[in-house]
Amino acid sequence: MAKKLGVYICGGCGISDALDVDKLCGVATKEFKVENCKSHPFLCGEEGAKLIAQDIQEGTNTAVIAACSPRAKMDVFNYGPSVYVERVSLREQVAWVHPPKDEDTQMLAEDYLRMGLARAQKAEPPEPFSETIDKTILVVGGGIAGMTSALEAAKAGYNVCLVEKEPSLGGWIAKLRKQYPKHPPYRELEDTGIDACIKELEGNSKIKVFTGAEIEKIEGAPGMYNVSLRQKGAATSLKIGSIVQATGFKPYDPGKLEYLGYGKYKDVITNVQMEEMAQKGKITRPSDGQEVSSVAFIQCAGQRDPAHLAYCSAFCCMTSLKQALYVTGQNPDAQVYIFYKDMRTPGQYEDFYKRVQEEPGVFLAKGDVKGISEEGGKVTVEVYDVLLGENIAVNVDLVVLAAGIVSNSMPEVAPKVEAVTPDGEKKVTEIVSDSGRYATPALHLQYRQGPEIPTLKYGFPDSHFICFPYETRRTGIYAAGCVRQPEDIAASMDDAAGAALKAIQCVEQTARGQAVHPRTWDKSYPSLFMQRCTQCKRCTEECPFGMYNEDDKFNPLPNPTRCRRCGICMGSCPERIISFKDYSVDIISSMLKVIQVPEPDEEKPRVVAFLCENDAYPALDMAGINRITYNPFIRVIPVRCLGSVNIVWIADSLSKGIDGILMIGCKHGDDYQCHFVKGSELASTRMGKVQETLQRLVLESERIRVEEISISEFKKIPQIFDEFMEKIKSVGPNPYKEM
Amino acid sequence: MSPAVPDKETVDIIREMGGGTLKICYQCGTCTGTCPWNLVRTFLPRRMMHRAQLGLIDFGDKDIWTCATCGACAVRCPRGVEMIDVIRAMRKVIAEMGVAKVPDSLRVSVKNISYVGNPQGEPEKERGSWAQDLGVKPFAPGTELLYYTCCIPAFDAKVRRIARATVGILNKVGIDYGVLGAKERCCGESVRKSGNETIFQELAKGNIQAFAESGVKRVVVNSPHCYHTFKKEYPELGAEFEVIHLSQLLDQLIREGKLKFSKEIKKKVIYHDPCYLGRHNEIYDEPRRVLQAIPGVQLMEFQSSRKSSVCCGGGGGRVWMETPKEERFCDLRLKEAIDAGADVLAVACPYCMLMFDDSLLSIGKESTIEIKDISELVLEAL
Repeated sequence: MAKKLGVYICGGCGISDALDVDKLCGVATKEFKVENCKSHPFLCGEEGAKLIAQDIQEGTNTAVIAACSPRAKMDVFNYGPSVYVERVSLREQVAWVHPPKDEDTQMLAEDYLRMGLARAQKAEPPEPFSETIDKTILVVGGGIAGMTSALEAAKAGYNVCLVEKEPSLGGWIAKLRKQYPKHPPYRELEDTGIDACIKELEGNSKIKVFTGAEIEKIEGAPGMYNVSLRQKGAATSLKIGSIVQATGFKPYDPGKLEYLGYGKYKDVITNVQMEEMAQKGKITRPSDGQEVSSVAFIQCAGQRDPAHLAYCSAFCCMTSLKQALYVTGQNPDAQVYIFYKDMRTPGQYEDFYKRVQEEPGVFLAKGDVKGISEEGGKVTVEVYDVLLGENIAVNVDLVVLAAGIVSNSMPEVAPKVEAVTPDGEKKVTEIVSDSGRYATPALHLQYRQGPEIPTLKYGFPDSHFICFPYETRRTGIYAAGCVRQPEDIAASMDDAAGAALKAIQCVEQTARGQAVHPRTWDKSYPSLFMQRCTQCKRCTEECPFGMYNEDDKFNPLPNPTRCRRCGICMGSCPERIISFKDYSVDIISSMLKVIQVPEPDEEKPRVVAFLCENDAYPALDMAGINRITYNPFIRVIPVRCLGSVNIVWIADSLSKGIDGILMIGCKHGDDYQCHFVKGSELASTRMGKVQETLQRLVLESERIRVEEISISEFKKIPQIFDEFMEKIKSVGPNPYKEM
Repeated sequence: MSPAVPDKETVDIIREMGGGTLKICYQCGTCTGTCPWNLVRTFLPRRMMHRAQLGLIDFGDKDIWTCATCGACAVRCPRGVEMIDVIRAMRKVIAEMGVAKVPDSLRVSVKNISYVGNPQGEPEKERGSWAQDLGVKPFAPGTELLYYTCCIPAFDAKVRRIARATVGILNKVGIDYGVLGAKERCCGESVRKSGNETIFQELAKGNIQAFAESGVKRVVVNSPHCYHTFKKEYPELGAEFEVIHLSQLLDQLIREGKLKFSKEIKKKVIYHDPCYLGRHNEIYDEPRRVLQAIPGVQLMEFQSSRKSSVCCGGGGGRVWMETPKEERFCDLRLKEAIDAGADVLAVACPYCMLMFDDSLLSIGKESTIEIKDISELVLEAL
């Protein structure tokens, strides 16, 4: 469709005080030959809005609105899916942060308008990817998390398929005699309620339960997964929209802690064995079957020990307190000792802790276990009581080790791969945890990047702990319960509901052809100009979400519903063949090309700053709202993720005479804040390489800088700008200016 | 050293003796961080609680007798452990079961109380002699108010001034009151805190009976310790009389206009909250209002006052025990009052007076500051 452009310049909020609006209009009408350029003192008001609406009715299909930030007044300047709107931020990025009626301020505004025009000329309104979508939700795992997810999704009106590999539902919770209190006054043990839960689930017509079933493979993408099941030898196939993985945990093997005597002494057992015994009835000594009259619980059997489980398992303190009551309930004269590192009973659980302390036979001590030995039918536990500063010893019938949680996605043995070294030598190396191949098989995904969801170093799925809980690095697959993080029943149920909602959002968004979090409004998706593809695999390797599969000839096969629209593949592509309708290598290059670069003797350097739209760009807006002034020689370009920055933009900028390039994104590393997990990490790796190239070309590597900030650090942005400009000043003008 | 073996029986005894809340201690150490002893020496209530929790109590440990029962730890304890009850239970095991030695001076004082009804060991019949020249009536049936004299003002030559000032005020105001003299005995509050439950019960029952026989309905006391036990412990043993602290009575009289001042006391007066009046019974405002009502008085506050007031060191039987000179936190309190520029340190408790008087002598600052009971100040201004 032919572009019909309208340019609208707002004079409100101080813009006309700071800028020569008529001169600005001249940029559009004279330089860009736009016929229709209007200005209005108050564009977002009724009259101003009518002005634009009128033009659109008369055929304008592309509106360049030079007013406030694109993050403001989104509802006002929205003309439906067929009109492309380009926003030029004259308010937050020009009028509010630079001196009024200043030459440099005017030049900045004019450049921004040029850049907006360049973009508007090339960008198209996105058309959604549309496919027939199945909204059924697959829940993998029939423990408390899986069952809760299934019930929650069904209650919200969705069909659910629940797959459990054991012959019956329930998981760990079905093995409990009682659960610790979940209700006020948090003093007495409660029934687990599991039978009622299973009954409700089985009676729900929206839920189809497959017990004794395993997944053979999952093909496809959100909204159109094909799931192959094998149940009691028979194969079934399911059409699925999105997936909740609630595959639970296994207890850590305390046999690895030799000094605790597990496996050596019969009367040293785990909390799991204790629970089994309690559920069957009497708590007795495994060695002679006698009822116990004294028990010692040892907390942290490996937990919070860097050599074993570096993390807290969240439920074991409460479980030992609960099991202590089993013992005193069976024999009121029994003596129970709990030796702990720290008692961790958060929130209302504190009341239960207190209640168990009140029990006459229960004794607690903070200490380190020095040794466990057996003599005369009793187990002696020697503990250094840190609060007494001396050793104490107890002779007990039974020792219970509070075993911790290992995520079921943690592989028993780290998988290895045979690789060829650069010298041509074959070598077996361990697969890194952060890959889709480092996990215990559960989903059998037919993804190029591996069959399971990528995990973190402890085997938990890479599910951002603050910003994006439940999400994993596979769009449409959400983790819940102990597979995701160590947690107890109540927290698992919360998790389960959260993951179910995420799964529902996914199928709904997918049905609309929109992305899931964080670009939930986004209908664009990447298209590949395959004739020029060199099968380099950069896009298939670098997509954090495993969006691309591959055909036999190594051509990338996009699965648009797996895509989060970050553009990392676009940034990765050396052939620049990956584009979105409104975001492409060419669009940004055009923006770079229209920036006016003054002659070196004018001493007006130019710097391009690529700012991540997730944190850095909103932070820049906040700096604007707070009227924090900064250097006017910087031209900011918002990018979907720093990972979407293609290095050709660096080359384009430098060859044009731009003096420096700044990139500001989110934090990367173990506690990353990157909204697309790997984007800022990839950006810094790529830029590191670009810097090397620059040095080879005798260009100063200081001309490129990558910075990372969080959304709240808006005060830092002007500082970063000013410091970088100082650096550019000391490096001197880009020698390519004169070429 | 072979490791200690926790002993449930000992814990059970402490629980039976009234120290049951020790079970819920979770060892945060707020008590140790709060205890005033740590201003002058190391004293670890937290560790003491943990020892007791495991039944690993060393009954020969002198620190069992160290606690002044000031209650500063208990009001801050996040778990509601009644530390004083636990300490009292341990002392009870020693005093009543004879498992270890009771400090000599305490033993003598308690013995005196048990024999003659006062810690000083003075003849019982002399209990009323402090009032000989003051025209005080013996309490007779129908008398409105009993002035119960604590043993300290009754027998201690220096502290006697509290009792004399008290009746001076009562006489001037014209209240219908009387004293029981030899018929009353020590209230037993500190006797109980030092673990001597049996003697306490005898004392309490004796007093309850004496009060009942004389028809006592309302009692005014100087000592917050008497106040505490009369108010909180005697009723369980059958007492039916009402008790009021002198500061409350004075406050009431001032407000009713029955007590009018005619003189000015142009002095800076700093008020020390007695633990048993403040923390234990939450009477903070009445003594302050009384002092503020005296013309000319400029009332000052300690940095730590009211709920956070620092003990004089005299509670829990400590008043009868020797405290090494360098370990008296009472001295610190007095120095703070002097540094603050106060002319008078006002107290509302005979134990506090006794302790501060001692401190004043030992730090040699008699000319810098005076120690006065609020009754003395009120009488001066009448």
